[in-house]
Amino acid sequence: MAKELGLYPGCVMSTEQYAYELSIKNVIPDFNIKLVDLDNTSCCGAPIRSINLLMQMYLAARNIAICEEKGLDMYAPCSLGHLSLTETKNRLNNSKELREKIVKKLKEKEGLEYKGEIRIYHTVDLLYDIIGLEKIKKKVKKPVKWKIACHYGCHTVRYTDAGRPDRAEHPNKMEEIIKAIGGETWNYSEKLNCCGGPLMVTHREAALTKAGEKLKAIKDRGFDAIAIVCPYGGRMLDGRQDKAASTIGEKLGVPVFYLTQLIGLAIGKKPEELGLHLNLSPVDKLI
Amino acid sequence: MDITDLFNMSQPEGDKQKELIRQLAILGIKNPSLCFQCAKCTSGCEAMKLLELQPHSIMASVKTGFIEEVANSDVIWTCIGCYKCKERCPQEMSPVEVMFILKNWYVASGKSIPGDYQNLLQGILSKGYIQEPLEVLDKNNEKWNRRKLGLSDLNYPKNMNSFMSALTELAAEKL
Repeated sequence: MAKELGLYPGCVMSTEQYAYELSIKNVIPDFNIKLVDLDNTSCCGAPIRSINLLMQMYLAARNIAICEEKGLDMYAPCSLGHLSLTETKNRLNNSKELREKIVKKLKEKEGLEYKGEIRIYHTVDLLYDIIGLEKIKKKVKKPVKWKIACHYGCHTVRYTDAGRPDRAEHPNKMEEIIKAIGGETWNYSEKLNCCGGPLMVTHREAALTKAGEKLKAIKDRGFDAIAIVCPYGGRMLDGRQDKAASTIGEKLGVPVFYLTQLIGLAIGKKPEELGLHLNLSPVDKLI
Repeated sequence: MDITDLFNMSQPEGDKQKELIRQLAILGIKNPSLCFQCAKCTSGCEAMKLLELQPHSIMASVKTGFIEEVANSDVIWTCIGCYKCKERCPQEMSPVEVMFILKNWYVASGKSIPGDYQNLLQGILSKGYIQEPLEVLDKNNEKWNRRKLGLSDLNYPKNMNSFMSALTELAAEKL
């Protein structure tokens, strides 16, 4: 029987990074995982940590409770969202005071029962640990034979104590997946550098400079493309690549793919099923 | 009288320091006094090169009780929240979360919220998400939305009033 997971949409994927959602919904079920849309969901709280941490934890906890009420484990494809949810789950388990405050409010205001017992997966651990490389390899029809740089994104790997999908300093699950679908990849010094995404709120120029510098480093190191697993990364490295290029005064033109789009191509999905027409970086020069 | 007393005399913020330590403890984070200024946080800081953020200086200030100085400075708003400082600290400190708490205080004090945060907050309070689903353009300038792409409609909090009232009540509470 297929494993069922509640798909938590988050803000950025579900309101603009549609290519990630499309490729997830068209690729993951091929691996015997049924994705269930959740109702009543909201933001995970991560974007307003700087404003109010209690609000952040309430938002995270309410989405966990919503999935829990369906009796399902959760798949949260956004790295910031995944961190906010897993961290809050830990914090409410470790602090009686916090737990009482948030749980009471959830019940009182929205009638939600919070237990904090479900598992919360991200794209990286869902593909690597639950589906596994062997199953992915078996389905490959058209290997993606490009040189692909893996960009994990800050919140995919940090911080360890919150329970992340891969190791903080030497993550390699994405690389293993890239190799499994026929790609070539290697470590590069800038691998753990930030895309600048969260900085757009207060320091636009600096954020775009960070995105530009990361893209330039990847291009200079001889990669053909970048694989990403976070919608903030999609926003910055794909959606705002032109702006990032002009900010640092360079020509970039680096194709950026969601990892789920690359797997989709490898297992024979059509580009439009994977939302590849929505990528604004020059992915057409490879596909 | 030793140097610590002098600090306390010139900047009597012992209460704020205690409150900061209390709030950090609730989040499971250790007392900043354990920071021994190795500056490993600053060496890896994503905002150091472009925006001159030095997490170890922030830690030095809060450790010596100069809280208000840090809480009111623009520099805490340059933190990207990448968590490298927290991940790498040999003393298990968390400059990133010290800054999150101080930013929370800055907002709670009624000062105007920097950047686009006001819009993000407004979006969440009114719709549940930072923004409504956007119509996006592809490379040929063709417009796409969720429906046209065959994606189901986005779900919202069922009872917006109680959702909003939970959040606004929490905003008035202390961590």
